Amino acid sequence: MALTTAQTGLSRARRGVAPGGPGKPVNRKSKLSAQTRKTFFWLLLPSVVLLILIHGYPLVYASIQATHDGSLLDTGEFVGLDNFATVLASEAFWKAARFTLIFTIVGVFGSWLLGLGLALLLRTKIPAGGTFKVLLLLPWVVPIVVSSTAWNWLVGTPDSLIPSICRNLGLGTPLFLADPTLAAITVMVFKVWVSFPFMMMMTSAALASVDTTVYEAASMDGATRFQQFSGITLPLIARSTYISWILMTIFCVNDFPTIYLLTGGGPVDATTSLVVLAYRTVFQDFQTGPGVAIAFLMTITLVVISVILYRQIRKSSVE
Amino acid sequence: MSAVLHAHPKSGPTLGVTGPGKPRRALSEAGLRGRWWRFTAILAITAIVLIPIVVTVLLAFTPGPNSTATGLTFENITDVFSKTLAATWLQNSLITTLSTVAVSVAVAAPAGYVLSRGRSRAVSGYSLLLFVMQSLPIITSVVPLFILFAGMGLVDNLMGLTIIYVGSTMTVATWMMAAYFDSIPISLEEASWIDGCSVFGSFTKVVLRNSLPGVLSTAIFAFLLAWNDYLVAIVFLRSNEIFTLPMGVQSFFQQNNTDWSGVMALAVIMMLPPIIVFATLNKYFSVGGIGGSLAGR
Repeated sequence: MALTTAQTGLSRARRGVAPGGPGKPVNRKSKLSAQTRKTFFWLLLPSVVLLILIHGYPLVYASIQATHDGSLLDTGEFVGLDNFATVLASEAFWKAARFTLIFTIVGVFGSWLLGLGLALLLRTKIPAGGTFKVLLLLPWVVPIVVSSTAWNWLVGTPDSLIPSICRNLGLGTPLFLADPTLAAITVMVFKVWVSFPFMMMMTSAALASVDTTVYEAASMDGATRFQQFSGITLPLIARSTYISWILMTIFCVNDFPTIYLLTGGGPVDATTSLVVLAYRTVFQDFQTGPGVAIAFLMTITLVVISVILYRQIRKSSVE
Repeated sequence: MSAVLHAHPKSGPTLGVTGPGKPRRALSEAGLRGRWWRFTAILAITAIVLIPIVVTVLLAFTPGPNSTATGLTFENITDVFSKTLAATWLQNSLITTLSTVAVSVAVAAPAGYVLSRGRSRAVSGYSLLLFVMQSLPIITSVVPLFILFAGMGLVDNLMGLTIIYVGSTMTVATWMMAAYFDSIPISLEEASWIDGCSVFGSFTKVVLRNSLPGVLSTAIFAFLLAWNDYLVAIVFLRSNEIFTLPMGVQSFFQQNNTDWSGVMALAVIMMLPPIIVFATLNKYFSVGGIGGSLAGR
């Protein structure tokens, strides 16, 4: 046997077989040999360095900036939590937080419902089903810069195509990007348009793994189509649904281009999300401290949410 | 035909194949009607959904207001290349994106391997760390990185941009690679160890060689992210000749608000590469894979 102890240890650890023999629960601190550990260390090193440089260092530096009264050029004086107090007391922050919340809820569930509906429609064979599947992915594949330009052409000014059609239908001239409420709705519709293919792909993949014979059994027992859907399909794809919601929540909260390119956050800040607000505070108003504080508050919220959700996923994958 | 109808839960198993009896025929018609109803619904939704994209393509190939051309024309595309820095922007975007893809896979594949095969506390801790990091808003890191990179001359620089793209794609890329490696049986490696291969050797020679679909799907992910990015570009790029395409399209749009044929021509140039990548490599890419990688780890 040329197999080194290192490698035996590795494959045992991988299989969940403890070194003492099969049957014993595997030790969490796996029995990898020094040699294997060394190899693993070198394989992991580039990734760790990048993580520290691109994520770790900025996070530390950002926490310094958030507690200092500085600019992009120098750190400034330590002001404790003043920046956070300023931010939390400002009306703009809460307005942006509220918009971000609504934007996220509409973005997640809007794109999920549309994606689910399309995935269900495409589940059974229809003529040119494959072509539709690919065509429907386009909104997600096309760069936001491009699609926002196209949307701008369609709804941007009172003389654009869709307002003109509305006018000709006698519906008045809706100002899709100039009226605060309508602009907020337009941005959310745009977000759903961009995101639903992602949800469709996630749901399609989950549906593909559902064994169709359960439906035959259910329909023999007299279950209606809707009962089959809510009683069989939804529970069976629940895990994947759960994950897709999590991912989309993160995408929506962190989203910058969808909003910024379509409305720039306006009119009268009606579509300013927290990311847009943070960007403008730092790079347009040059208030580094408060801007980073906003980003930091988002970060803390997202860390808490993602750790909780990560544990939830792990828990449900054990069950 | 019968295979198609089989897929429909309500349609009987022998439709129209072995002499249709009356009740079966009725079912068959219901099945067919359902099928055409679904087809029509999908067709309508697809048509509506694609309007913005169709409009972009149409405008890009329609002669502009000052043009003498009739019908469809490539004039706008050639105009954009001669009047703007479109060629430079395209080149910048290609350089940044392709370097990002290469480096990102090169970093994520070994890390993913460790995540997949290592089962220590440190490894699962690192896995959690990656998950948390990928969910953080990039805006938080952008400001400190801007200051750091300004001191190193990496602002307004394609290399600086690439480093950030690699950093931000790396987290999910590592997870995707790890999920793919999970699907490769460890017996393959064991066989190579018996032949005297080292752990590293069996990773490169055995595991990586069998991971083309995983590598490609990670590469597509990194490609889309780097190609489409706007937030990092708008912060880090200042001069016209360093712009990537998203910045180019946006600046051209802001300066020539009414030159829609020019704007749309640029837009078509920008959306073509991702569409080509996706059209050719579509079968390797499953978003389900991303979800699966999150779920399985």
